[in-house]
Amino acid sequence: MGYDSDLSFNYFGPTKIIFGVDSSKDVEIEMSSLGGTKAIVVTDKGIIDAGLLEHIKAALGNKCVGIYSDIPQDTGVEVVDAGAEYARKQGADIVISVGGGSVIDTAKCMCILLTEGGKLRDFNGIQLLTRPQIPHLVIPTTAGTGSEVTTAAVIMDKEMGQKRLLVENHNVPRLAILDPKMTAKLPKLLTAGTGMDAMTHAVEALHSIQHEPITDGLAVHAIRLLARHLPTCIENGSDLVARGQVQIAATLAGWAFGNALVGIVHAMAHSIGAIAHVPHGLANGILLAECMQFNIESCPESYALVAEAFGVRERGMDDMAAAEAAVESMRAFTKTIQLPQRLSEVNVKEADIEKAAELALGDGSIVNNPRFILDSSEVLGIFKNVL
Amino acid sequence: MAKFKAMTQEWLDAYKAAIEADPEYKPMAKDWEGSVALVCNPDPSKGVPETIYIFMDYWHGDVGEFLVCDKAKAESATFVMTGDYSRWKQVALKELDSTKALLQGKLKMRGDLPYVVRNIKTVNKVIDILGNVDTLWPDEM
Ligand SMILES: [Fe+2]
Repeated sequence: MGYDSDLSFNYFGPTKIIFGVDSSKDVEIEMSSLGGTKAIVVTDKGIIDAGLLEHIKAALGNKCVGIYSDIPQDTGVEVVDAGAEYARKQGADIVISVGGGSVIDTAKCMCILLTEGGKLRDFNGIQLLTRPQIPHLVIPTTAGTGSEVTTAAVIMDKEMGQKRLLVENHNVPRLAILDPKMTAKLPKLLTAGTGMDAMTHAVEALHSIQHEPITDGLAVHAIRLLARHLPTCIENGSDLVARGQVQIAATLAGWAFGNALVGIVHAMAHSIGAIAHVPHGLANGILLAECMQFNIESCPESYALVAEAFGVRERGMDDMAAAEAAVESMRAFTKTIQLPQRLSEVNVKEADIEKAAELALGDGSIVNNPRFILDSSEVLGIFKNVL
Repeated sequence: MAKFKAMTQEWLDAYKAAIEADPEYKPMAKDWEGSVALVCNPDPSKGVPETIYIFMDYWHGDVGEFLVCDKAKAESATFVMTGDYSRWKQVALKELDSTKALLQGKLKMRGDLPYVVRNIKTVNKVIDILGNVDTLWPDEM
């Protein structure tokens, strides 16, 4: 993989990782190591119903001063404001999030309000914070978003009719506990979808025009781990070895795309998500191979690394041949993990993709794509191929 | 061609004229609404003894007021971008990509981030034009 002589980048990834089966039982010890004495636990009803909170509550004992679980699938500004208000009343000095992306992002924003005061709408911008925020400890219950190690949070603002994006280096979670048992009960489709979100983060970090050697290294190993272990998670969800490796892959991919950013796949997944409510990971998974095909002439070297990670680069293959093998492997992989193959299978209609193609062209992610996109008809072409 | 001292009114006038003269700007910025303020933190060692506030009005491809202003005026802008003198110089010289600078925290921005992200091509164009203004940098004078 070649890099130019003007290569210049910042890599930022300060989150401490604790990994192991039952490591979430150490939550009280880890919270104390961050200086926390009164924890507010942020979670959702699904986690509570699945019984995933019991041992955490038990471990925290009276250091847990409250549980905030009123968090919908797509969190909102009011959810954050109410959560922060509650945490403030309880005197919390640390936030512990137990959940998926929506829960983690809610908790990230609560940390800002607990430190700086005010309401979320007061924080409109990027990198506005000038000091570290109150500590945030994350225990992810899905393996995909990578939000446990990124500086970004996405929160719906219904009043504005759009999602708010917060990016703050001073608000990256301090510590993440990856306990394979916390993802062992994830149903097949959710496992496949969130897993493909992680896969897409890794591939997009590789093909992004912002890619660099550190993120490339993280992304390639994330793909290797996903290629090997995600199918096992689908076959046997309670395989804790596979679950753990997929969690690690999601975190590696989180560091990769948190720095190198994402491209056309996310631009398209965001827009089809907004228009036809296709879950993020599923949309990414359905679109990924087709977008790789679209980009292939612009970044064969990056996709050759994907082929290496899948173990399909044969001796003597040049980068382009390897890149083609990578696209084929990706298509085959989505079938192996029983992912829906077409957008029509998830209720997307012809009219939806036309609107989504327009919308995708204005998505910020598209500027990092290796192939320059001039017109929405190019995006529409990709959508049509997977409708 | 005359050179203008960075972040002075003459420099801003030249910048405004350069934007107006660029045939690609107007169609590209046709959807853009909102004033932009640049705040340059002081750095006496580099010839910037005090904070400099700049206000620029952009509206659907037209450019309005371009002023060196006071703090209150700058803070009234739709988007307020703040950074150290050295960072602004790097951006103007295209040594530092503004999007990267924001993501990495080298510049700060108050305002509707998704809006900026959606219009990033317009933002990049304006910065591109800035690179064409013949500038005297205070730390090189
Ligand atoms: Fe994603």
